[in-house]
Amino acid sequence: MRWGRCIAPLALLATWQALSWLGAIPAHKLPSPLMIMAGLVELIQRGLPPGYRLDYHLLYSLYRVAWGFLLAAAVGVPLGLLMGWSRRIRGVVGPLVEMVRPVPPLAWIPLAILWFGIGVKSAAFIIFLGAFFPIVLNTTSGVLAVSPALQEVARTLGAGEGDVVRRVLLPGALPSIFVGLRIGLGIGWMTLVAAEFTGVKSGYGLGYMIMVARDIQRADQVLAGMVVIGLTGLVIDQLLRYLGRRLMPWQGGG
Amino acid sequence: MSKSLSMALALVMLIASATVVAAGQTRPIRIGYLQADIHQLACWVALDKGFYQDEGLKVEVAGVFKAGPEEMSAFIAGELDMGYVGEAPATTAVANGAAKVVVLAQVNTEGSAVVVAKHSPIKRVQDLAGRLSAVPGHSTVQDFLLKKALAQAAVPAGKAKVVVIKPPEMIPALRSGQIASFIAWEPYPARAQSSGVGRVLVRSGEIWPDHPCCVLVADQRFLKTRRAEALKMVRAHVRATDFIRRHPEQALAIGVKYTGMDAATVRLAMANVKYTYHISVDGEKQYVRFLAKLGYIKVKDADAFVKRFLHGELLAEVLQK
Repeated sequence: MRWGRCIAPLALLATWQALSWLGAIPAHKLPSPLMIMAGLVELIQRGLPPGYRLDYHLLYSLYRVAWGFLLAAAVGVPLGLLMGWSRRIRGVVGPLVEMVRPVPPLAWIPLAILWFGIGVKSAAFIIFLGAFFPIVLNTTSGVLAVSPALQEVARTLGAGEGDVVRRVLLPGALPSIFVGLRIGLGIGWMTLVAAEFTGVKSGYGLGYMIMVARDIQRADQVLAGMVVIGLTGLVIDQLLRYLGRRLMPWQGGG
Repeated sequence: MSKSLSMALALVMLIASATVVAAGQTRPIRIGYLQADIHQLACWVALDKGFYQDEGLKVEVAGVFKAGPEEMSAFIAGELDMGYVGEAPATTAVANGAAKVVVLAQVNTEGSAVVVAKHSPIKRVQDLAGRLSAVPGHSTVQDFLLKKALAQAAVPAGKAKVVVIKPPEMIPALRSGQIASFIAWEPYPARAQSSGVGRVLVRSGEIWPDHPCCVLVADQRFLKTRRAEALKMVRAHVRATDFIRRHPEQALAIGVKYTGMDAATVRLAMANVKYTYHISVDGEKQYVRFLAKLGYIKVKDADAFVKRFLHGELLAEVLQK
């Protein structure tokens, strides 16, 4: 059954490769899967810019995403809890969040450079903006979905407001918070390429590497970089799902 | 009746559109250039003074780009026939098998500079050792120039740190002290000076006299099918380049019009650029060897590559008359 899942992608790859061999897909527009593999091997062995290897690009990118994402989670989850808990806070902060949310993280780049320079801080800020809003909104809606009856019961049994938030709202909202974290991490990872376009001091980063490949018109290495970003995103998402299942055994799925 | 009429009408329209496509000649020449790049003044002069019309050419500006690689992507996509572009992105795109263009004429040589903060303690290129400098990209001619300058100043490789920053962000980065210097094409050095942020440490002409910079390129298919028009384009380019040299004040006004910058900045920028149509063959060879050595392109025989890439025939024809 698990092998059955691989049939469609493999058939797609085979067709793609065949069309490339036949010349139906010109290599300068879309390189064949084998060319992309060769580009990937070159990125691993020699690197791009030459000497800057893929493993380091990946590590630096993960580092930036970790900063941006953890910051977004550290601010977003408590804020979302507060917004779900208090109608007044929701009334004040909600419109602000809704106003900033539709601005694409990319539009912040010039300001990010002015405020945070060209190092990890500005990249983390862009990733933060991508990850923050899904986390806040999902946390809020998760809290709002917790049955008011449960809160009343807790209060009747003598729980203070702090206990209500910690013992009732937080666990109740946890599945929704995890959805927010997963979406936020996905979007944060997506904004990485844009974030690293601001320039990186270290000379490392997957987005940065793709930009260099673009500058020298190596479409095979652009695509190889995309493959690495996609696979890494998949692995991280699986890890979060696993974590979710461990923390919320009652949920069953993830 | 009305049905057969509409069918007849559709047929007429089909034939008409097919004729237009077949004619081909009526399609304007799609050109591209770089936004506010003072090197490419000849293009704006030819547009502004009507030199293309004088040649009987229909020219359409199909793209104004922020950087050379973007313009080369447009060539690869088949969206451009001819263009003013940096020799560096054109070389990498052709050498890596992505674009099929050839150089028909030089647009300028020199025209870049290393800029440091106005009150920086940096006095000589040697002082860049141990500090952070910005280049517009790996494999750019500016990257090459900086490496050359550091080598000339006997700064060991790896001693000076280099970061890639796109030129619009360079001046703010210099102002806030995040970088000690940057190297970029005009008008960025001129803008850094006129805004009081920076001063020129060394001009690129001092690092490498007469080094190649921007070129006029043509798509090979276009050149094959519409050579006569390409020839006229080269003639208009030669005329525009001569115009800049003979009437610098008028050219300056056109530069102001197309860049939106003030006259003082444009004047400063123009003073650092050599406007010429003579193709710099040796410069291109040096550049190809540099790129191949660093591994950005795979070219075994630089001489043979340069011979194919530089197509001076049309320019020679124009200059003969």
